[in-house]
Amino acid sequence: MAMFGGAYNTIAFDAAQCDGCGDCMTACATVKTGTVDKTRSRIQIVDSADDGFELALCRQCGDPKCVTVCPAGALTKDGASGVIDWNAAKCVDCLLCTVGCAYAGIALDAGSGHVAKCDTCDGAPACVPACPHGALKYITTSRIYNEVGDWEDLFAPGLAGCQGCNTELLMRHTLRRVGPDTVLATPPGCVPGMGSVGFNGTTGTKVPVFHPLLTNTAAMLAGIKRQYKRVGREVNALAIAGDGGASDVGFQSLSGAAERNEQMLFMVVDNEGYMNTGMQRSSCTPYGAWTSTTPVGQGSGGMPSQGKTQDAKNLPLIMVNHRCEYVATASTAYMEDLYDKLDRALEASKRGFAYLHVYSPCTTGWRFPTNQNMEVARKAVETNFVMLWEYNPRDGLQFTRPVDDPLPVTDYLKAMGRFRHLSPDQISHIQSKVVENLAFVKQMAHRQSA
Amino acid sequence: MTTATLEKSPQAKPAKQKVMLVEGNEAAALGVALARPDMVAVYPITPQSSLVEHVAKLIADGRMDADIVDAEGEHSVLSVLQGGALAGARTYTATCGPGLAFMFEPYFRTSGMRLPIVMSIVTRDGITPQSVWGGHQDAMTVREVGWVQVYCETVQEVLDTTIMAFKIAEHHDVMLPVNVCLDGNYLSYGTSRVELPEQAEVDAFMGVKDVNWHVALDPLRPMAVDPLTGGSSGRGPSTFVRYRKGQCRGMQNSLRVIEDIHEEWAQRFGRRFAPLVEEYRLEGADYAIMTLGSMTGAAKDAIDEARDAGRRVGLIKIKTFSPFPVDALMKSLDKVQAVGVVDRSVGFRWNCGPMYQETMGVLYKLGRHVPSMSFIGGLAGADITVGHFHRVIEATEKLLSNPAPTEPVWLNEKD
Repeated sequence: MAMFGGAYNTIAFDAAQCDGCGDCMTACATVKTGTVDKTRSRIQIVDSADDGFELALCRQCGDPKCVTVCPAGALTKDGASGVIDWNAAKCVDCLLCTVGCAYAGIALDAGSGHVAKCDTCDGAPACVPACPHGALKYITTSRIYNEVGDWEDLFAPGLAGCQGCNTELLMRHTLRRVGPDTVLATPPGCVPGMGSVGFNGTTGTKVPVFHPLLTNTAAMLAGIKRQYKRVGREVNALAIAGDGGASDVGFQSLSGAAERNEQMLFMVVDNEGYMNTGMQRSSCTPYGAWTSTTPVGQGSGGMPSQGKTQDAKNLPLIMVNHRCEYVATASTAYMEDLYDKLDRALEASKRGFAYLHVYSPCTTGWRFPTNQNMEVARKAVETNFVMLWEYNPRDGLQFTRPVDDPLPVTDYLKAMGRFRHLSPDQISHIQSKVVENLAFVKQMAHRQSA
Repeated sequence: MTTATLEKSPQAKPAKQKVMLVEGNEAAALGVALARPDMVAVYPITPQSSLVEHVAKLIADGRMDADIVDAEGEHSVLSVLQGGALAGARTYTATCGPGLAFMFEPYFRTSGMRLPIVMSIVTRDGITPQSVWGGHQDAMTVREVGWVQVYCETVQEVLDTTIMAFKIAEHHDVMLPVNVCLDGNYLSYGTSRVELPEQAEVDAFMGVKDVNWHVALDPLRPMAVDPLTGGSSGRGPSTFVRYRKGQCRGMQNSLRVIEDIHEEWAQRFGRRFAPLVEEYRLEGADYAIMTLGSMTGAAKDAIDEARDAGRRVGLIKIKTFSPFPVDALMKSLDKVQAVGVVDRSVGFRWNCGPMYQETMGVLYKLGRHVPSMSFIGGLAGADITVGHFHRVIEATEKLLSNPAPTEPVWLNEKD
């Protein structure tokens, strides 16, 4: 039986399409109160500070504050539908829920004397078809979270990542998807540093797990996979490796295994440096970035040290040139995109070498507040600093989330401290490289898809 | 049983054996095939190359059923095999010289994980000076890394020892990787008559394969392999110490196991090789020379001639160099008044040969003064001839009456 039930639905609002006509409110009031009194509608369109409109509506939150603060147990989250139900018989009319909600999604209905909130009209919300501009949509969200919640978490509780790091999220999602018939390799770095392999006889992982050397992950996994193939057993070979080991000292074994098309899923968690050992530079560190081995200083002879002086090695594109069974880039800010790729990578790993490169911001090493990880990851994509695409030899390279109207790269750079020292020349170098990289990948997408 | 002759054991029942003329590298490959590994990983390097070529051809011809991995370098070669062994495979490779140096990182780890991988070292001198020729410098350089290392004298011994190596490595009291060292040039390319054991007889000798009972990466037996052990913090270094101590115990156990398995081999196949230390014409000798590997053939000829000429000299050959057979060697050295040790490599730290350095430790344990000296010869593929060994014998004999020289004798210095 599902722990969280099926996918959750919600009403999405596109403010750009809304002209404030109020037809949705009329529809809601009609259905729910038998009146056309818009003030009694459970969906409220209100003026926003920028002369547009905002939505006040229950979001059917995953972590609902209204439920938490209700002293009477009158509000409950339905595990199957995801809808937050209000029970009139239990309600004591204290209105604490209206204070708890950040979205003004539950409010006093003067006509009834009780609070009222959206119940999605049992899955057919009257407001949505009433909108003449298509500003409201009834959509399914978080499909993956609900599915994944039903799979076993194959890491133990209590892994010790830095506060605000999303790699633990990535690891748990990945291993849940790949499943228990797996041998997991985690070469030295943040992933075993969290305790996934373990310390002193304890382990953080429920599947067979080991530290390869930093240098030989792909080779050791190849040996394991081959022996199970030889004896006719279906076992997944999964690596969750850092960018340093993969792009620098472990690159030879990675390249060799890819060339031999060894059957495995090799995931690189790219935090652009040796963050576990104290934030040293790797070949995946971007130009201009401060690291502990590309520090910022006065320099000598009037030449200040201004961070890394070379551009990052583009490891996923190098893997494309190995003609792997599957290569993709992904970001923890776009989990549904990542999940689609994880599915395809896992499938491809049963035929040959599958490579998944996940950009994973490092709050400690990149110097940004611990609550900004997703925002930084998203900005990387929205500026085209990072591009999300996938490749297989039959279909070539294709963008999965193309960003046609990117934000200036400064929107990304200013989100963290490691770029704080950049000169205007350095920033323009980075912006020009973003343009150049985009053109290069587009050219590959065009050529290889043709 | 520390001494042996080449005579057949009286109770041996020699199995039907095919006779072939092969080079040492092919003999090693034939031995590997008979031991039936699941997985071999290869990367070519002179003078090992023809060995892995023979292995590849045996597999291509269907005469050997193993998964062959043409890895992109020695580092990955050994890493692939570590993975295979952890999944239950019997595994084999071969390397030498720079390849062994490149492999060092996983090489160190193999013994720590107690993986019974067998690897031939087709010994090659160390670079630089640049050289592609034989010498023991490669194997000597890694003698302190916890692998069992045995040195062969003849092509037949290469074939037989290669098979025995798997059984030694996989013995539950040992569970350590084994190097079978065969001299580059002299044994790798030297062609000799060999007797090839029957597959069924080898199968009976090898018994049931069981290589990952102690450590595995298997979803049916999930475990974390090699988690971080304590050091100066937390629970302290006791786990680490226990593992290291276990490695040393495995090494010491291997001395007995190597003897037992050589004895079983002699019983089954009628060929007896000294497992640890061989004495040759040592009875009645006043002094001895010590050898390692293929040089021993010429040395034995020189000993025969010297004995005929009335010199009271015998020979001690080391087969098992790691672990060093301290007790067995002590018994042999106790029979003589002086010893000259011939090394095919250099011990830079003591300005002598590495085997000489080890021997000095054993002489100290003897508790009486035995004059000794170091000879270094056969570097970079140089031949150590019967003539060279006569010089060794003469110089060693002088130890009985004159003070020992403080410098090593470099045998090929003027060749």
